Amino acid sequence: MKPDAWQELRDGLVSMATRGWASANGPAPDAPPGFAPFAAAAEGFEAAARAYRSAANAAAGQGDAARLFAHALRGLFADFPVPWKTTLDSALHGVAPGNLFDQPALGASREHQQRGQQLAEAARRVADAQGRLQILWSDAMREAAATFTTRLDSTRGTPAHPAPVGELYNTWIDCAEDAYARMIHGENFCTTLAELVNAASQWRQALQAAMEQSAKLLDLPTRSEIDSLAQRLKAVEHELRAARRAPDDSGQGNATRGKGPTRKRKTASKAAKAAGRSRHGTIRR
Amino acid sequence: MKGSVHEALSAARHVQPGCSEKDAVWQSGKLTLYRYRAIVRPASTAPLLIVYALVNRPYMMDLQQDRSLIRGLLEAGLDVYLVDWGYPDGADRFTTLADYIDQQLGECVEHILATRGIAALNILGVCQGGVMSLCFAALYPQRVRNLITMVTPVDFHTHSDILSKWVRGIDISAFIGSGNVPGDVLSQLFLSLMPFRLTQQKYVDLLSGSADPAHIENFMRVESWIFDSPDQAGAALREFVLWFYQQNRLVQGGLTIAGRAVDLRTLRLPILNLIGKRDHLVPPEASRALRRLVGSADYTDVEFDLGHIGMYISARAQRQVPKQIAEWLIARD
Repeated sequence: MKPDAWQELRDGLVSMATRGWASANGPAPDAPPGFAPFAAAAEGFEAAARAYRSAANAAAGQGDAARLFAHALRGLFADFPVPWKTTLDSALHGVAPGNLFDQPALGASREHQQRGQQLAEAARRVADAQGRLQILWSDAMREAAATFTTRLDSTRGTPAHPAPVGELYNTWIDCAEDAYARMIHGENFCTTLAELVNAASQWRQALQAAMEQSAKLLDLPTRSEIDSLAQRLKAVEHELRAARRAPDDSGQGNATRGKGPTRKRKTASKAAKAAGRSRHGTIRR
Repeated sequence: MKGSVHEALSAARHVQPGCSEKDAVWQSGKLTLYRYRAIVRPASTAPLLIVYALVNRPYMMDLQQDRSLIRGLLEAGLDVYLVDWGYPDGADRFTTLADYIDQQLGECVEHILATRGIAALNILGVCQGGVMSLCFAALYPQRVRNLITMVTPVDFHTHSDILSKWVRGIDISAFIGSGNVPGDVLSQLFLSLMPFRLTQQKYVDLLSGSADPAHIENFMRVESWIFDSPDQAGAALREFVLWFYQQNRLVQGGLTIAGRAVDLRTLRLPILNLIGKRDHLVPPEASRALRRLVGSADYTDVEFDLGHIGMYISARAQRQVPKQIAEWLIARD
């Protein structure tokens, strides 16, 4: 990509993100959603690349310029929207363990206190795991920046012919993705991720239990009741299906509907007739 | 350049996937069985039933005219059926793998066999659908004439299987609870395997690349497929993660579906295993393991220098994969 093409792309992204699709490009009813992050990333990267070029073209300090570039990229990607952060932050908003939950549960409301404690404990575990994942993320970005700095030596071009910004961008993505891959394959990451998911599951279970308790007081149907009914219905459906498959004592109808591999094969002439009365489904053709 | 890319994107925002004509020939609940209309003189082979995964939608197999594995199969004269599992909702939360494999897939097979008056058909299982097809073939060997597996994981504990590493320590029953798993969760999961490329670079490349309307429309079709993620029936997903990803039962043994043992060593039918060498979701070694686990004397694996999605829609796949499948089937039917 030519440098001016990158500039054009960046301007387009920023324009779309800040003024909307229609104002940037004439009438178009639906702007593509979610362009703001790309615009911000493109703008940030372009600014860092411009600073790097200026410093690298100066008489001294190419190594410093590369380090500054890498450092700027680490900063840009420090708050990259990784899934373990964005999904859970909104769910856990406002849930924080307090001193009250460190106390032993006593009295008639003991079970309610315990539910609250479980909720708070799960939230604490989630926050703890998120924090550890964020440290791993930061380490990975530092590693990516270090690799990127090294690679800049071979990709930066000359003052007269600087490397296209798009090429630098792709190099950065490669470095970031490689470092990320090493992180997510590591045992530390896998263990911490599992801890995060398990804690979030515990938090959800505790919340569901608390909500069911409230629903019972208001005589509202609960998830448990609906699940129980659904299980019963499924059992009835299975029995009905099994009854349909069973050999027909009257000798009519379902003799060829035995279970699985022991079922007798229909002849071709009977097949067409059978097609008109599928066992359970609807035959259109 | 900018304006024309924007115009192409705007014009392509309503593109629809799918190109080959098909008929719904059987329905049960949310499942629909399709049969594709022939476009050339039929080859003398048994019908081919495509069993797609429960995650994502099967129209990826027939995305557009020049990106359609199904069209390639039809051009080779094959008689193609496709299982569309539909979109599970809250009422499907207790649907199990046995329901999907023994009941629903079983009924699709029964319908085809009954209407065609034949004893066995050919199955092409794709990704998770390949695992389900292996299970079905092991349960009902006389129903399956030839089996093709495509980007199908078999050994779930290989070194480079990141999904397996991630879920190994997760309490999957607690995670799923009694509900379904939203499709968005799975989309996030897949994006987080390569977040820089999949959530950022891809779009930068799009906006700085070709404004060719065909290119943009292709991008938009793939984009809509990627995020068209059905919710997953909770019980079935729990079993799939526990039995395959965590306990690796296809390799370790102990797998039962609908109360019957599934043992891959009992498979004696011809098997063609199609593997993507650059598959980041199903590592090649996870698929290669099939060779040592089955009892078939007629086993072939073919590796393509393609990724997981590239196996369905890349230009190279269009040239190579349907041809490979058709030639292999015609040689055996």
